[in-house]
Amino acid sequence: MDKHLDVLQGTLDMLILKAISLGPLHGYGILLRIQQISKDRLEIQQGSLYPALYRLEHQGWITSEWGESENNRKAKYYRLTAAGKRRLQSEAEKWNRVAEVIAGILHTTPEEV
Amino acid sequence: MTSLSRFRSWFRAIVRRSRMESEMDAELRFHIEAYAEDLIRSGVPRAEAMRRARLEFGGIERAKEECRDQRGVSHFETLVQDLRYGLRMLRKSPGFTAVAVGTLALGIGANTAIFSMVNSVLLRPLAYYEPQHLYVIREIIPQISKFYPSLAANLPDSRIWRKECRSFDSIGIAEPVSMDLTGAGESEEIEGVRSSANLFDVLGVRPVVGRGFLPEEDEGGHGHVVVLTDRFWRRRFDGDLSIVGKSIVLDGTPSEVVGILPAGFHFPKQIGLMTEFPDHPNFFQPLNKSRSNEQSLMGDFDFAAIGRLKPGVTREAALAELNVVQAQIAKQANQGMDLLAEIAPLEAEVVGPARRGLLFLLAAVGAVLLIVCVNLANLLLARVPGRMHEAAIRAALGATRRQLVRQLLMESILLGLLGGTLGIWMASLGLGWLLHTAPASLPRLDEVHIDERILSFAVFISVLTSVIFGGLPAWRIAHADPQGTLKLGAAARTENSHTRRLRGWLIGLEVTLSTVLLILAGLLTTSLLHLLRVNTGFAVERVLAADIDLPPHSYSKPDARLRFYDQAVINLRAVPGVVSAGWVSILPLKGEGGVTDVSVPGEPSRTGETPIANYRVAGPGYFQTIGIPLIAGRDFVETDRTKHVIIVSQGIAERFWPNQNPIGQICINSWGGEERNEVIGVVGDIRTVRLDKVPVLMVYTPNMFARAIPYGPQSASIVLHTMTDPAASAAAVRDVLRKLNPDVPVVALRPMTALVSQSVETRRFQMSLALIFGFCALLLASLGIFGVVAYSVEQRRHELGIRMALGAQHANVLGMVLRQGMSPVLVGLAAGIIAALFSGRLIATLLLGVGSFDPLTVACVMVVIVTVALAACWIPARRAIHVDPMVALRYE
Repeated sequence: MDKHLDVLQGTLDMLILKAISLGPLHGYGILLRIQQISKDRLEIQQGSLYPALYRLEHQGWITSEWGESENNRKAKYYRLTAAGKRRLQSEAEKWNRVAEVIAGILHTTPEEV
Repeated sequence: MTSLSRFRSWFRAIVRRSRMESEMDAELRFHIEAYAEDLIRSGVPRAEAMRRARLEFGGIERAKEECRDQRGVSHFETLVQDLRYGLRMLRKSPGFTAVAVGTLALGIGANTAIFSMVNSVLLRPLAYYEPQHLYVIREIIPQISKFYPSLAANLPDSRIWRKECRSFDSIGIAEPVSMDLTGAGESEEIEGVRSSANLFDVLGVRPVVGRGFLPEEDEGGHGHVVVLTDRFWRRRFDGDLSIVGKSIVLDGTPSEVVGILPAGFHFPKQIGLMTEFPDHPNFFQPLNKSRSNEQSLMGDFDFAAIGRLKPGVTREAALAELNVVQAQIAKQANQGMDLLAEIAPLEAEVVGPARRGLLFLLAAVGAVLLIVCVNLANLLLARVPGRMHEAAIRAALGATRRQLVRQLLMESILLGLLGGTLGIWMASLGLGWLLHTAPASLPRLDEVHIDERILSFAVFISVLTSVIFGGLPAWRIAHADPQGTLKLGAAARTENSHTRRLRGWLIGLEVTLSTVLLILAGLLTTSLLHLLRVNTGFAVERVLAADIDLPPHSYSKPDARLRFYDQAVINLRAVPGVVSAGWVSILPLKGEGGVTDVSVPGEPSRTGETPIANYRVAGPGYFQTIGIPLIAGRDFVETDRTKHVIIVSQGIAERFWPNQNPIGQICINSWGGEERNEVIGVVGDIRTVRLDKVPVLMVYTPNMFARAIPYGPQSASIVLHTMTDPAASAAAVRDVLRKLNPDVPVVALRPMTALVSQSVETRRFQMSLALIFGFCALLLASLGIFGVVAYSVEQRRHELGIRMALGAQHANVLGMVLRQGMSPVLVGLAAGIIAALFSGRLIATLLLGVGSFDPLTVACVMVVIVTVALAACWIPARRAIHVDPMVALRYE
């Protein structure tokens, strides 16, 4: 199997919300955080990150403000809103349910049918 | 998601666009630089790190675009962007833009102008309360329906309907009147309407000042009252409100002004074919005392009756009820005549006769617009190869197909809107001309103006046309394969066979439409020419006619009227340049006048089978003056006044005395009582009613002194045969008449030729517009043909050069280019002729003296189209044979 997994369609939003939920981050930071917590197993197209961020902000799940980066440069930091927190929760639950069901299906042995 | 957050980001994006852009820029730059720094830290050289950071990020512009898209402002944003880009592209090719906007403006302007007329005349409901419930009621006497299919309403009958018919809320009647206004200010003759007191209630119109009529004012003995129209009140009394309550003198009788009608009130000019009202009535007056001829149940039928149907009552039910009442009336009248009724929606009665002609014009002008579209589509298609390259580059840079189509469509919509704006301006100019040229008989013409419906129509057709003409080329460009296009380079800029075929089809379509339009215009022209060549039976050249209206109060006796006409004729004969003069009660071509039964003694006269003739009172010298040939017998002389003599038309002579000498025969006429008259002369048949109506039977009488009720027409026309141009004598004629009696108004003074041309004005209007549209179509189509052939010659310079280098003769090359240019033309021509075969039938009612498919017209149109198309191909084809092979080969 390939070392890198492409992010499944529709899960990028959830991953971003999760990454930000651990603490405010700028765009590049989000990218690094996801790679870090996935232990480099997930590959995110850098170009597709920003449209997703703009989309989430437009929908009111995250907000942004300009701040100082680690090396004292101006960077835009994203934070989760209350609505975003609820959203992450419901997305995570949904994901877990689906994953459970699919895992159940894939683990089915002939005897169980 | 909250709508507030959405709105906030949307608002920020629109209002603080530049700030958002710079923030987005900074954010992405930060990302790339931060990544690059990480790469440098892991040992990658600086320049290589920056390169890799950019590369791995992917298309920055594309990411930005997608970010913008997320804001929900993309539509607005891209609209502005596309708009700017479109404007830039249009500015880059000013010639193309000018041609496109110009032809569009013409097409849209013409359509808007014609639609304005259609809108006012046909589409906008009459300006009355719930006009859909208003119906016109007419009477039918089956025994005479052969001559008069239906009659206007009779006054006593209408009173009975009002009492007996439950289907109607109310029934009102009206007839045109004309009266002399004297007293303060200049005296003038004014036209108005005499109506039942309830007419305003029936129509649902209330005077803005004062009151309408009271029910008792339909009877005599309640004083004279009058309601003024806004237009007349403003013209004559300068809009002075104090006139209400005062009296004005009409026909010598003081009448109290009791009300003023609203400015938007219009009374129909024509209700059905029988009753014609003035263009702009000046006043309305109640019936007041009914006249003697209005008291009989079978007396005069000359009122327009308008009824308001009760809601929920069907037209059929109302008619059935009316017919029951009519049967009772006929029984009561006991004259051996039956009585029926017919009802028709007022709306249809008012606009009915104009409908087909106007719809035809709308279709014709629509066809012109379609040709404009096709031409522009063709022009745009010609630009396709050039634009292909540009589109391919844009596609390679990440533009999606949808974006490309949107962009290209925006360009054509821009063209459409520019053309539309100019078109609306042209429409307002054209409308002025149209209203000036339009026949006065066209109903509701005074209501025509440009309103918001017209404006939305213009915008609608602008956008529609741009989508039609822009859609095809945009689709072609967007679906091209960008890689292939870029690889081919300059070669891709030549037209491919697919596009060329498409353009051939479009040319064919243009030619088809032009052919149909020209053939129809040709048919209308042939009809008009036929009509103008028709033998009227009288002379029109060098004949002057003066219409005279005698003031009733100063000429109340019939013999005083006749004396005035006779004296006028005698005085006018003395005017230099006048060859002869005479007078008649009603001029030819002025419609039906008084009618009389005609029978002969001995022949069993069964009711309903006696022929009906129009009668005219004529003075001595009338026939000679107007050129109606005296076939037998003699003309009237002074002494005939006291005798029972008549002159009949040839039609009557042939009907009653086929193989006998009509002179000296006895003819029984019934004009207010039966009368035996001796025939002293026979004159030729003439077109009495209209130019396009075959001659009717005519009886001429010198006077009516011998009648039970002495009669002399209140108005008459004096005709003069002049030596030279009749118009030159007009001033002298006016002078003589003024000297005779300055109080007698000359209502109209014009040569007979003017009367004839007035009689065909509707046809002339339709024909000239159809011709204009037809030739516009032809011009546009030939431009299209020229464009296509010229372009293809330009494209094939190389090939033509090779052909000529290999020894092709000029004639061969010329023939080849012509053949290719002409083949879509010929296909279109054939299709057009077939289409004209069918569409000719649709306008069959507008035609006269020519079938709906006229081989001669078709042949002429074929010649015109082939000639024009050949010329359009010839010019570029000539250029083809002048291609220098060496230059052409070097050209690539």
